[in-house]
Amino acid sequence: MNVAPPRPARNWPLLLGTLGFLVGMTWWSGHGIGFSLTELLCNLPGGQRLLQESWPPDFAFLPRLYAPFMETIYIAIIGTVVGGILAIPIAVLAARNLTLGPIVWFADRNFMNILRTLPDLFWAMMFATAVGFGPVAGALALSVFTIAVISKLWSESLEAIDMGMPEAVRAAGGTWLQMIQFGAIPQGLQHYVSYALYAFELNVRASMVLGLVGAGGIGMILETQRANFEYERVTMIILAVLVAVLVIEQISESIRKRLA
Amino acid sequence: MNKNQGSIRFTDASVVYPNGTVGMKDLNLEIRPGEFVVIVGSSGAGKSTLLRAINGLNRMTSGTVEVDGTKVPQKDGRELRVLRKRVGMIFQDFRLVKRLTVMSNVLIGRLAHVPGWRAMFNLWPAHDREVAMKALERVGITEKAWVKAAQLSGGQQQRVGIARALAQEPAIILADEPVASLDPVTTHQIMKDLVRINRELGITTLVNLHFLDLAKQYGQRIIGLRFGELVYDGSAANVTDEDFRDIYGRDFTEDDVLDEDAVGG
Repeated sequence: MNVAPPRPARNWPLLLGTLGFLVGMTWWSGHGIGFSLTELLCNLPGGQRLLQESWPPDFAFLPRLYAPFMETIYIAIIGTVVGGILAIPIAVLAARNLTLGPIVWFADRNFMNILRTLPDLFWAMMFATAVGFGPVAGALALSVFTIAVISKLWSESLEAIDMGMPEAVRAAGGTWLQMIQFGAIPQGLQHYVSYALYAFELNVRASMVLGLVGAGGIGMILETQRANFEYERVTMIILAVLVAVLVIEQISESIRKRLA
Repeated sequence: MNKNQGSIRFTDASVVYPNGTVGMKDLNLEIRPGEFVVIVGSSGAGKSTLLRAINGLNRMTSGTVEVDGTKVPQKDGRELRVLRKRVGMIFQDFRLVKRLTVMSNVLIGRLAHVPGWRAMFNLWPAHDREVAMKALERVGITEKAWVKAAQLSGGQQQRVGIARALAQEPAIILADEPVASLDPVTTHQIMKDLVRINRELGITTLVNLHFLDLAKQYGQRIIGLRFGELVYDGSAANVTDEDFRDIYGRDFTEDDVLDEDAVGG
């Protein structure tokens, strides 16, 4: 009969060391931000009061959400379309197998990195300063955000395409642009549509947050009601947003699944 | 098609790949307009290198290739595109855009003939659509014009590949292992198509093959390569088993022929 080898002993020093390290790190970080358990316990009644005031949601407020909610959707649509179109050349030039040359590739890659490093809230504040508070600033910020998302994801799937077809276009005397249009993009089209839908989902969610810094949409209403201590309305807004985001993600996801 | 077009001349031509592999060594070769040439050799002997040097897909390390007396440009640009316009290529793996229709694939052969904006917005001139349709007629799959390329069998896909090359109205056709992914029956059909097109249109045709019996059956002139060097150049009618042994550097086996009874025959 085969006998299983004895179970190896646990590496206790490693386990305890890791645990100790994690506890130590957490304590050190909590100390760093001035976290204290006693203070938290003293403030609990305040949190309880907030929750009580936030319930029940103010359903009478729901109709007034329609216009700002649609504004949020418009912002997301414009951001996705504008950003999605601008992302095409940026993604192509960032794909090592398709780009025009090492200098163009390097410049484009770094441009993409800068777009991605700066958060969408930063872009919203920038554009709000530049073109004034409102939905236009939000749409511009989301366009930049969409470029960052799609160009990164898509340039990577373009790098994985079969280069045979682009070469065939070249061999028939096609230009670089024709090689991209007829040889490369047809292979990456499914991914592109999928990423654009994904970017739209992100944009719907992001455009709610962007309202907080004055970029229009439902986030702006949320911020005004919160500042006026209308917590039952705040709850209503959050509920409505939650439902809307879930519905949109479901639709988008089912389309993307069908594409794959 | 102009009978005086489609000559190729290699002069002291060499290709060394960046990793040190020799793809072509001091090649001197002349191919006359309208010839049907089969190039044989074991894998890595430089068959593809030879074909791809003619349309500038591979660059020369030294020496020159000329097409109709004009040197093949060694850098991307207008001059190279003008040359490629006249040289059609057929690939082992067909290289079709599977999700597009057969017609769209054949029209890729017209890219270099129409203004860029027309191709970009799919506004092909009637003349170019006609040329594409005629090319499909010549390979006998007109009825598949509006079918997606993905729905065709291997043999049909290679016919589309040939039609795409024909749509260029080329002086030269380069076929790089055109039958290597096909079954024996389809293989013979495709080879017959290539020979027929060569006869009907007088297009200089170069075909890479690794099956010896096919080379002998369909070739007019056979060129043998070994380690990038020209080791045989003669008519297909006179080629002997001995010659094949020289080209391959070994006795040939069942793997080298398509129909097994050809061994030793």
